[in-house]
Amino acid sequence: MIQAIVFLPLIGFLIAGLFGRRIGARASELVTTTLLFIAAGFSWIVFFDVALGHGHASAPVLANWFTSGKLSVDWALRVDSLTAVMLVVVNTVSALVHFYSIGYMHEDPSRPRFFAYLSLFTFAMLSLVTADNLVQMFFGWEGVGLASYLLIGFWYQKPSANAAAIKAFVVNRVGDFGFALGIFLVFQLTQSLSFEQVFAAVPGIAGHKIHVFGADFDALTLATFLLFIGAMGKSAQFLLHTWLPDAMEGPTPVSALIHAATMVTAGVFMVARLSPIFEYAPDTLAFVTLIGAITAFFAATIGLVQNDIKRVIAYSTCSQLGYMFVAEGVGAYSLGVFHLFTHAFFKALLFLGAGSVIHAMHHEQDMRNMGGLWNKIPFTFAMMTIGTLALTGVGIPGTELGFAGFFSKDAIIEAAFAAGEHRSVAYLAFISTVVAAGLTSFYSWRLVFMTFFGKAKESHADARAAHGHDDHTHADAHAHGHDDHAHDDHGHGHHAPHESPIVMLIPLAVLAVGAVAAGAVFMGDFAGHGYDEFWKGALYTGHDNHILHAMHEIPHWVSYAATVMMILGFLGAFFVYQLAPGTAQKIAHAFPRLYRFLLNKWYFDELYDAIFVRPAFALGRLLWKGGDGRIIDGLGPDGIAARVVDGARLAVKLQTGYVYHYAFAMLIGVAAVVTWFVAGGLR
Amino acid sequence: MSFSTALAHHFLPETILALGVLALILIGAWRGTRAFGLVNELAAGLLGLAILALFFGQTSEASLFEGAFVDDAFARFVKVLTLVGSLVTVLMSRDYLQRAKLGNFEFPVLVVLSTIGMLLLVSADNLIALYLGIELMSLALYVAAAFDRDDARASEAGLKYFVLGALSSGMLLYGASLLYGFSGTISFDGIAKAITGAPPLGVIFGLVFVLAGLAFKMSAAPFHMWTPDVYEGAPTPVTAFFASAPKMAAVAITTRIVFTAFPGIVGQWQQIVIFLAIASMLLGSFAAIGQTSIKRLMAYSSIGHMGFALVGLAAGNEAGVRGVAIYLAIYLVMTLGAFAAILQMRVEGRPVEKISDLSGLSRNNGTAAFFLAMLMFSLAGVPPLAGFFAKYYVLLAAVDAGLYPLAIIGVLASAISAFYYLRVVKVIYFDEPAPAFDQSPLSLRAVLAVSTVFLLGFWLYPAPVVEAATAAAKSLF
Amino acid sequence: MAVAFFYLFSAVLIASAFAVIVSRNPVHSVLYLILAFVNGAGLFLLAGAEFLAMILVVVYVGAVAVLFLFVVMMLDVDFAELRQGFSKHLPVGAAVGAVVLGELGLVALGWQSAPGAKEAAAAPIVAGVSNTAALGQVLYTKYFLFFQASALVLLTAMIGAIVLTLHHRPGVKRQKIEEQNARTRDNVIEIKKVPSRAGV
Repeated sequence: MIQAIVFLPLIGFLIAGLFGRRIGARASELVTTTLLFIAAGFSWIVFFDVALGHGHASAPVLANWFTSGKLSVDWALRVDSLTAVMLVVVNTVSALVHFYSIGYMHEDPSRPRFFAYLSLFTFAMLSLVTADNLVQMFFGWEGVGLASYLLIGFWYQKPSANAAAIKAFVVNRVGDFGFALGIFLVFQLTQSLSFEQVFAAVPGIAGHKIHVFGADFDALTLATFLLFIGAMGKSAQFLLHTWLPDAMEGPTPVSALIHAATMVTAGVFMVARLSPIFEYAPDTLAFVTLIGAITAFFAATIGLVQNDIKRVIAYSTCSQLGYMFVAEGVGAYSLGVFHLFTHAFFKALLFLGAGSVIHAMHHEQDMRNMGGLWNKIPFTFAMMTIGTLALTGVGIPGTELGFAGFFSKDAIIEAAFAAGEHRSVAYLAFISTVVAAGLTSFYSWRLVFMTFFGKAKESHADARAAHGHDDHTHADAHAHGHDDHAHDDHGHGHHAPHESPIVMLIPLAVLAVGAVAAGAVFMGDFAGHGYDEFWKGALYTGHDNHILHAMHEIPHWVSYAATVMMILGFLGAFFVYQLAPGTAQKIAHAFPRLYRFLLNKWYFDELYDAIFVRPAFALGRLLWKGGDGRIIDGLGPDGIAARVVDGARLAVKLQTGYVYHYAFAMLIGVAAVVTWFVAGGLR
Repeated sequence: MSFSTALAHHFLPETILALGVLALILIGAWRGTRAFGLVNELAAGLLGLAILALFFGQTSEASLFEGAFVDDAFARFVKVLTLVGSLVTVLMSRDYLQRAKLGNFEFPVLVVLSTIGMLLLVSADNLIALYLGIELMSLALYVAAAFDRDDARASEAGLKYFVLGALSSGMLLYGASLLYGFSGTISFDGIAKAITGAPPLGVIFGLVFVLAGLAFKMSAAPFHMWTPDVYEGAPTPVTAFFASAPKMAAVAITTRIVFTAFPGIVGQWQQIVIFLAIASMLLGSFAAIGQTSIKRLMAYSSIGHMGFALVGLAAGNEAGVRGVAIYLAIYLVMTLGAFAAILQMRVEGRPVEKISDLSGLSRNNGTAAFFLAMLMFSLAGVPPLAGFFAKYYVLLAAVDAGLYPLAIIGVLASAISAFYYLRVVKVIYFDEPAPAFDQSPLSLRAVLAVSTVFLLGFWLYPAPVVEAATAAAKSLF
Repeated sequence: MAVAFFYLFSAVLIASAFAVIVSRNPVHSVLYLILAFVNGAGLFLLAGAEFLAMILVVVYVGAVAVLFLFVVMMLDVDFAELRQGFSKHLPVGAAVGAVVLGELGLVALGWQSAPGAKEAAAAPIVAGVSNTAALGQVLYTKYFLFFQASALVLLTAMIGAIVLTLHHRPGVKRQKIEEQNARTRDNVIEIKKVPSRAGV
């Protein structure tokens, strides 16, 4: 069964990828989507069996991959509760996205390629989550990176898409480098890369020091730190986050699948999977908490002012990933995974909803050009509202009533507070997550109000003139031309907005169910009374880690804080965008520096450009023109090439074609060798 | 174990081929000129059957025929490679020979006979078995080279190969007689037992001459001179055969004889092997530059590759033999794939073999162009293709054995040879298109595709080949 | 006595082998070759292998060498042309040859066999079994593999000879006796009435 789950998408990829052109777009869609639905069905069966039922965790070995000295790596599929959760998330969202894409991409000429990539991504993600050793995990890790690169750059005719794809790839490379170094260090420490053996060896090496660069480091702290760098890259955490917003250049279903629900959560999954190691490295956990807290706050602030509908959601994703890392940093791995689980539903819902809006607006993505859509696309509006309610965490504290985000997100905030007793960084995380909850609420409702309410803005020119003053060049460059490949023939928004086809609405409805109910249904299993029966040891917590109990013994005001912030955020957005339209511009004028600071995303791109990109280009140019061109080419290749040509001429000259020459050459060869030995013997 | 069960367990592939080839000759004689297609298919079936016999046969070690024949994991590994080489040659040859009006049933018969010789050679455990194996293999090859007897170039190729082959056989026999004279026995084990302490000059001479004879068969420099002319002159399927199966057998018996007959004088034969390896690698990389015929290019390429295989042998230990075994397997696939591509080079019914005929292939036939380009990358040893791993294993063994200069020369030779492989890729992708090739038969396309997939996928799952090679190497020690 | 014959046979063998290479007339070369074979047979006799000696004479002298002789006589090869460049390559060739010869001399001078080699090499002569019978006894038992392999070599040689030389040329007129016998007057002759003075 597990083999089927993992390899069905691969089969789909191969069929659509190799024969897509031959069997046609429709067949490719059907094949990949059908296979994904089968895989998703199997995933749920596994989930009910392994996680909810009494099935045993297992790791069937498929084959030996390679063996070299002490290093032996197998292809194995590990199935335990953590994997089961991820299987459900990945396959469900992927199946729905495949389905949705049939509608969303119906105008695109290279659909077989798109579906092949989607299936390839799914396969890579599945091999990541079923990995039983670090090398296989790295295989999946790079595989999703590759698929992400291909999908971001899917419309390769667009320079901006290519640039975004390269950016995603390069930034991820930084993280992957850390991940690879971490794997090397783990092998160095434990002489193994298989999870069982590594986890068994970890308690024995706690406290070991290693000597690097003239200083002693705690071995496990360094190893986990390096591994976490990988997680930061893949999950777009602070400092390595810059690729995620640009990744919105890809088609919207891709954003929903890869850049919201699955791939970006790989880092969260990795930390949870490696919890037996991280638990022995408290310093790293503090770092994880800090990075998570900063990301949660920082991304939320940027989300406040973005105008591209997908970018708002992208920053929201970034921020929510920060929440998950906060949870893991304070030792509540199950809460991190739980938020991952619920977030997958409502964030995929929001992205697909946004896709539906974009589709309705004929590939318009700038929210300033939208408005008043609620009665034109009522179903999408309802779904987006559900997604927003779930994201902002609407619910009644103290009861079991609420949307998915209410359970998972508020639990993280409580856990952060509870952990503050032991670690002060957790208080910082508490404050930043609470504030971020308010910001989340604000920007989410801002999105809803700007998109669905207010005056309908049919003409772009008017809209742009009205908002001309805050058209910063950078933001403006992205406001144009998103997804504009497909609508050259019918222009920008000159048609009335229309509701999307049914094939796009069904996935929305399914995800909406998850967004509403996933929290209430599974809270007890993931982080409540059913903890032990559910996880069955898939997550590891140290002896003095009682965070899940401690979070129930916190003051009441903490539980209410998040809800209060959420309501404040809603009211703020309601006031600024509904009651007193124009307030936003006034605020922007009042604090122009702050506004531009946020609009330009804290100037991270400019900063990296100045620190890394331009010096790298300059250095590259220097080495190319000066080092390579003048010195190496001058002395090396050109000189050597001339000698090689001489050698070739000589060798060819020997080949005369006369048999007796050949025979003579053989005799000379024998004579030379014999003489060599005779001379050696005489010596 | 009775004699007949021993035969059935350890001599089955040879028995199948020997009895089968007699049947093929009868069928051919009976049906005359129309027999080619049938005999060709039956020959392929025989070879396939022999492979199956090896796969499902015994895994124990046995010595048969009073120590003349040994069946061990090493022999079985190389036999499978050899049989695959012959089988693919037979499959690929049919279309070419029929179009060239060379569709005589004798060709598959000769291939099978030669293959029997190779199998005997691989399992040879004394000097007479070695010699008979070599002669059976070579005699059929001489005839095959001149198979296109009305073509002056093919006749010349056959004659050249025959004359030089006779010379090399003479050397081999001379060396063998010296060894026999010294040790009083023809068995490899007996020779090994007789050589104790510092060897007298006579043994060294025997060793040199025997290795010279074997080096001729694997076309290692400076005993390679026949290779380019014969490769170019012989019909292309014959060239494919020359480049694949006999090389397996020659390298294998060289490996076996140095480890079973001369374990006491590793230092001495190591020097000879290093000399052969360096000469072959350098010649293979230099001389191929500037070639215009793809068949000649492949000739120099195979010389260079044999040099690399000998690098593993020069290491003189188990890891080295494992490297050699892996090298042979990967070389076989690369060579068969390359010749499958060369056999597809046919414009308006006439075969062409200039590198310039490949110009712009990417625009006429993108799939074939991609496969051929991957083959060239693999031949050049570009990671992650299999050709890289082949070189990696032998160079690793050489470095571990402390042969740094050899390894460095190997890397340099590899870099130089990359030039002409990549030039082919450049021609395929960036030159103005030459006339498009004809539609090629399914067998050629299948061989090309399968070999490329193997080369591309090797790094993902190298375990079967590596494990078999490890077991093979172990059985020699 | 036997030693004296050994050196006689050996000396003549080497001298005639040399003569095969250097004699200008190819027919002479073949004749020298026959002389070399005969001396080789003499060496076999001295070693007590009379069967091999006879086989050598019968097969090589009687069949192979005679065939050579025919071929050489019929082909009329211009050996003067083949010798062109002989003097040009002589110095290098002679130098390499001299080196190899010198080294072989060293080998011969310093020859030593492994202890026990002589005993291992000696074939036990069973009393009451003739040379030929002894060969027959081992040929199909101990050396079964070699026997079969040799048979395959010969088979290959035969096939090779046929493949390379047998031509089925169309249009060659051959005698077909059954057709000749089947000819009757009716199906061969056609009688035409030709009008006189009209020409054909």
